Amino acid sequence: MSSIFKSKAFAYVLALLTLLAFLAFIILRQRSGFELDVVKPYTSMWVSAFFKTIFISLITLAGSLVLGFIFYLLSISKIKYFNALIDLFTEVVYGTPLLVMVVVTAFLIGPAFGSYNRNVLGVLALIFYMSPFMKNIFKSAILSIDEEQYLAMEAFGFTTYQKYRYIILPQVIRILMPPLMNNLSLIIKGSALLNVLSYEELFYATVVIQSKTYAFVEGYLIMWALYLVITIPLSNFAKLIERKWAL
Amino acid sequence: MKIELSNLTHIYDRVVIDDCTLDIDGYQSIAVIGVSGSGKSTLVRILSGLEAPTMGTAKVNGLEVHSEEHKKKIGFVFQKHNLFPHLTLKENITLVLEKTRDYSKAEAQEKATFYLDLLHLQNQANKLPKHVSGGEAQRASLARALSIDPDFIFLDEPTSSLDPILTDEVLKAVEELKGLGKEFLFITHVMSFVKDFADYVIYMDQGVIKEHGEPSILTNPKTQSLKEFMEKVR
Repeated sequence: MSSIFKSKAFAYVLALLTLLAFLAFIILRQRSGFELDVVKPYTSMWVSAFFKTIFISLITLAGSLVLGFIFYLLSISKIKYFNALIDLFTEVVYGTPLLVMVVVTAFLIGPAFGSYNRNVLGVLALIFYMSPFMKNIFKSAILSIDEEQYLAMEAFGFTTYQKYRYIILPQVIRILMPPLMNNLSLIIKGSALLNVLSYEELFYATVVIQSKTYAFVEGYLIMWALYLVITIPLSNFAKLIERKWAL
Repeated sequence: MKIELSNLTHIYDRVVIDDCTLDIDGYQSIAVIGVSGSGKSTLVRILSGLEAPTMGTAKVNGLEVHSEEHKKKIGFVFQKHNLFPHLTLKENITLVLEKTRDYSKAEAQEKATFYLDLLHLQNQANKLPKHVSGGEAQRASLARALSIDPDFIFLDEPTSSLDPILTDEVLKAVEELKGLGKEFLFITHVMSFVKDFADYVIYMDQGVIKEHGEPSILTNPKTQSLKEFMEKVR
């Protein structure tokens, strides 16, 4: 009896049951009924929104990786102006809610440059928002290669290219991956805010389906589940990589 | 090994090596001893060409220490093993040989295997540094230093991060290498090893070479400084 309470699997099953019981309680407490059939015709819309969410998240990831690396380079530049610029930008971004970033980019910054393409501006807002976080990931990954290793590279006479190609970058990528996965998870969750620009991602699609079917409870729960379908495997993948690739 | 120092001075934010002059010749394994911060590491790094002195000159076997020709002759073993953590012990050696010494893949493999065997690491060859003990990692570092066919092996406190048992294991490995015909310059705090292995001793204190000579100076120190040092390390 006592050993079953010590088992990890049992603990997880129990935790899952608790969660399901909580969900059942929430559903039963709603005034409207729970009917999945009404939203069934909209499956393809959800599927398409699901992939759009993944698509813009990956674009944001790639964009913020590039911009984050540029920010990193500017932040270590010998030109003080660049350091200050990045510092200031980082402070502003850290202090800005993502929703505010999205509307300011789409409705103020974009139009100032003559651009009204909300899909592009929305993704740009996400990229701007994530770049300082990416910059920090690069910074800590590169710092984690200790001074002594550089000394060893020097002693054996590696060229600068060889140092980066065979020793520094392979390590940086390993260190980078887990926080990168976590950032991707942040991006996916943040992309829900693009609904204010009518971009057809998961949140927006859900609201549209709800307004057509009045299935509010079902709509929110399905949307919630779809986010978790992406983020939970992602975070476990990050943990796996962290364990496997740790140096 | 022939070492010539002439008014060698090195300054970081303070004077680390203070106007050292020395001319010795004909010794195979030279120990550099002294308390922490006495300038030993800096001296060895300058002699290996890893660091350029602020003033003065240093030559080893007649070559300027910053010359590429001299640098290629040195195998360096650091305080920490400094193996590249993402590569196995064997890959740590083959990477160096293939990229910096133009070996073919097969030659590099063969050589890496030979030196890992020599240091009794055949069973650890395909493990990452984090999966072997500190002593094994340090021996692998020694194998890596040997693999480039250096004339000199420089060791900068190779056992300072190891417990006494592992220290013994690494120092025994170094002693076994004496027959390879290499010349050694090493820093250590293990005086029994100095007495057994060194045929010349340089004692440093506050950036100055206070005393140097054959290991007998350790039992009959001339300066008060070395006398006090020997009392402390005993």
